[in-house]
Formats: sequence, C-alpha cells, structure tokens
Amino acid sequence: MPQDRSEDKGEMKKYANFNFICGAVICSLMVLMALVSCFYTPYPSTAMDASLKFARPGLMHIMGCDNYGRDIFSRVMEGIRNTSLIALLTVFIGTLAGVIVGAVCGYFGGLPDEILMRINDLLFSFPSILLALVIISLTGTGTLNVTLALGLAFIPSFARIVRSEVRKQAALDYVQSARILGAGHFRVIFAHILPNIVPVLLSSVMIGFNNAVLAEAGLSYLGIGVQPPEASLGRMLSEAQSYLFTAPWYAVFPGLVIMLMVLGFALLAEGMSEGNG
Amino acid sequence: MLLEVRDLSIEFHDHGIPERVVEHVSFSLDSGEILGIVGESGSGKSMTALAIAGLLPRKKMNKEGSILFEGEDVLTMERKDLRLLQGDEICMIFQEPMTALNPTMRIGRQVEEALRVHHSELDAAARKERALRWLENVGLNDSERVYVSYPHELSGGMRQRVMIAAAMVGGPKLLIADEPTTALDVTVQAQVISLLKRLNKEERVAILFISHDLSLIQQISTDVCVMQKGRIVEQGSVEHIFERPENDYTKRLIAAVPRVEL
Repeated sequence: MPQDRSEDKGEMKKYANFNFICGAVICSLMVLMALVSCFYTPYPSTAMDASLKFARPGLMHIMGCDNYGRDIFSRVMEGIRNTSLIALLTVFIGTLAGVIVGAVCGYFGGLPDEILMRINDLLFSFPSILLALVIISLTGTGTLNVTLALGLAFIPSFARIVRSEVRKQAALDYVQSARILGAGHFRVIFAHILPNIVPVLLSSVMIGFNNAVLAEAGLSYLGIGVQPPEASLGRMLSEAQSYLFTAPWYAVFPGLVIMLMVLGFALLAEGMSEGNG
Repeated sequence: MLLEVRDLSIEFHDHGIPERVVEHVSFSLDSGEILGIVGESGSGKSMTALAIAGLLPRKKMNKEGSILFEGEDVLTMERKDLRLLQGDEICMIFQEPMTALNPTMRIGRQVEEALRVHHSELDAAARKERALRWLENVGLNDSERVYVSYPHELSGGMRQRVMIAAAMVGGPKLLIADEPTTALDVTVQAQVISLLKRLNKEERVAILFISHDLSLIQQISTDVCVMQKGRIVEQGSVEHIFERPENDYTKRLIAAVPRVEL
C-alpha cells in the first residue's frame, strides 16, 4: 500500500512540474522583457516616424509599426513593464488588506465579522472593473489612481479566501494548543495560522495577478488607465481597433502578449497548487 | 490546594435554547497528584478541562461556580493574567497529536513556544538547550534530528511525546491531558502513560487525566471522578471506585470493561 501511494505522488509531481515549468518559462520571459525595457528598447518607444506609418512586421521592426510609425515591439516591451507593475502593486494592496481583514474576521467571528463581510459582499456585487471605474471617476485618471482603484477592488476576493481558510485552520487543535501555551490572539493568527494558508494564498495571488493584468488592460482600453504617450498593452489594443483591417499586426501582437502573460501565470499557479496537493 | 473546582456549571446558549453541558461539578486536585476523570462521550469531561485551561469563549456561554487555581478564579480572571498562567503554570495536551501540532512549523519552534511567550529573558541558544533537554526527557533520543523535523515526519507516538515536551518546557504545575492516548496504539499508549507517571513523580506536576478508558484511569490516577451527563456521579480514590463502587452507573461502567480470559 505505502508503495502505491508514493508512486501516485511521483506521478502527480511530474504533472505539476510540467505546468510549473511552462509557466515559469513564459513568466521569466515576460519579466526579462519588462526588466530589459527599463534600459534598452530596440527603438525609443515614443519616437514617431511618418515614413514608417503602418510598416509591416519585418527584420527592422519585428512586430511592425503603428499609426504614428512607432516600433510596436519596443512599445510592447514597455507595455509589459507598465502593465505588470500596476498588476503587481494592485495584487500587493489587495493581498495585504485582504489578509488582514480576512484573518481577523475569520479568527474572531462575531459581529465585526458579520459587518465586514456584508460590506465585502456589497463590494463583491459590483464587477471589479466597474468598481475601479467608480473610484477612478472620483479620483481622476493616472497610473497611481488606477493602481489604487484596482487594489481596492481586489480586496474583497482576497479577504473572502483568507477568511474561509483561517476559519478552517482555527478549528484545528494546534490553534488551541498554541493558545494554551500562552500565545496571544495576534500571535496565533500571524505566526501560527498564516503560514498554513500560504499555499492557498499563493495560488490565489497568481490568479489575482492575472485578473489585475486583464483589468488594467481593460481600463487602459477604456482610456482611463495609463495615459499616452506611455505604452500599455490595453491602450495599444484600443488604439489598434480602428486599424484592425489595414494593420492587423498592431492589434495582434499586444493581444498575444496579454494572452501569454495571463497563460504563464495561470500555469504557474496551477503547477504550484498541484505541487501542494 | 492547587486546583479547586467549585460548583461549576457550563451552559451554551448558541441556538436560543440554553443547553447545560456541565452541572454543579466540584473536585479538587493537590499538587503532585493525578486525578482521573472518566465518562462516556458527551459527559462534559472535555468541557470541564477546557474551562480549567481558560480556553472556553467568554461570550456565547454561561459559566457559574468557580475554578480556583492557587486561590485565583480562572473564570473571572483578567485576560492578560490568564495568559500568564497558560503555558507557564497550566498546560494541556490533546487527543489528536496529528492536528495538535502546527504542520508548517518545525518541532523545535513549537516546543519553544511557551518559552518564547513567557521567558523572553532566555536567548535563542538557551531556548534551544531547554527544548533539546525536554525532547530527550520525554524519550526522543534523536533530539537534534527531531528538533529540525516537521510534524509529518514523526510517528503518532513521537508527536504525542513532542506535545508533552512542549507542554512541560515551561515547568507547569498542572498538566491537563484530554484523552492523550486515544489516538495511539496500545503499546505506545502504555509508554505515554508511564512517561506521564514519571513526569508526575520527577517534576511534581499535577495531572488532570481525562479518558473514557477505565483501565487507563485505574493505571495512572490516585483519585477518580466519574461523570455522566454533565454531573459527577461518584468520586473517590482509585481503590474505592474500582473495588467498592457505590453508584449504579459506575458499577455498570466497570462491568462493561471487556476482560480477556486465557
């Protein structure tokens, strides 16, 4: 019997590794592009050249040029950087606040839990993009505001995940035994329980990152995210839609990169959660 | 008197209808003694133990009577005073050593937890030294290896020994053992019982031993309380309870113990 089980586990691990490796390769490619774009892009991302307007993809410009003759590849590199930076900050805000709210609610329960979770439900009932739109319409556009708005919109989902996990853990004996050893409530929550929910949290952070990428792209597409001439993947898509038939490469490449980015992180999350059983 | 429980009643009022789970329970325990509480599931023995450990929620249930630990009432004590007792003077070990240890924390850190909380004057090396000594004292000879292991790397019996080490490291006066051997097999059970007996003798720690198993209670304790439906139906010394039981329920319990005849 024991042998069977260990074989099973090996099988699982191989499968998880496959997802994980694919995800890791795609993600590191994206991170590499974003990092390189900080000090090098093949062409300046905002340099316009009328003679290169709608140049086809070729050796000089591997993804072609846009309606102002700017190199799309350079703009995509920068777009990856801007988009993932916003997504990263968004997830950071959402996770930090979500963990605190969720952990406190899940551990203590009672009236505060009830109140906070109903507020949570209220926020949840709006799609997160709509919620971000409302916040941005109050605060004005701009990269920082978009990040804050998206971060706020992401808190409820993290809070809910953390709350249910903390609730589950809080019922286990080790929490009682930490209590009887004299650990205070906050020590129990953050030193004892939290490490146990990291696996779950990690994959939801990954998925959250994906949603943030899509949300940022969506907001920029609507024209309220990253402001021109800064490049953003969503903004490029929205500019490209008017030239979809004359210059399809303008839309295809940024779209493809968004898809790859989301796929990469999804695979990474999948690989991780399977690795954790 | 180390521990004196007087007229303790516990009542839930979770779902509107009050439900008494412990009714007018009184007993006492002197330092260095072992008191066994025996009863079937639902007899209120674990509730009594949790109340003594100060682990019952303050709201959501009514508690009457008093639990005097060295003259101070655990039930009405300030929360921060209670925290000073927990882990230092009163400790508890649980039924399931599988779930009673934190799966993501190394054994060493868990054994040291009470020291971290109560003895901040000790530095890391002193804490480790104490933890290792206790791991050895509870019979884990490979203490250095156990110290860096995670709970899933140990067997059930080893985990329960770790639990005992974690409970004893602060030098408590009272150890509450809530069915500590129920999840273990018989040989390991016997080892844990003799370990508890040895600790009782060497460290002069009083033990409140809770079990549904009469033969274990008979082996370990000096005094016995028999509980049924939240009440103590009979209490007295081991000899008294097992040789001259007076209560009907006690007699039936003793008669129900299966005997192996060869």
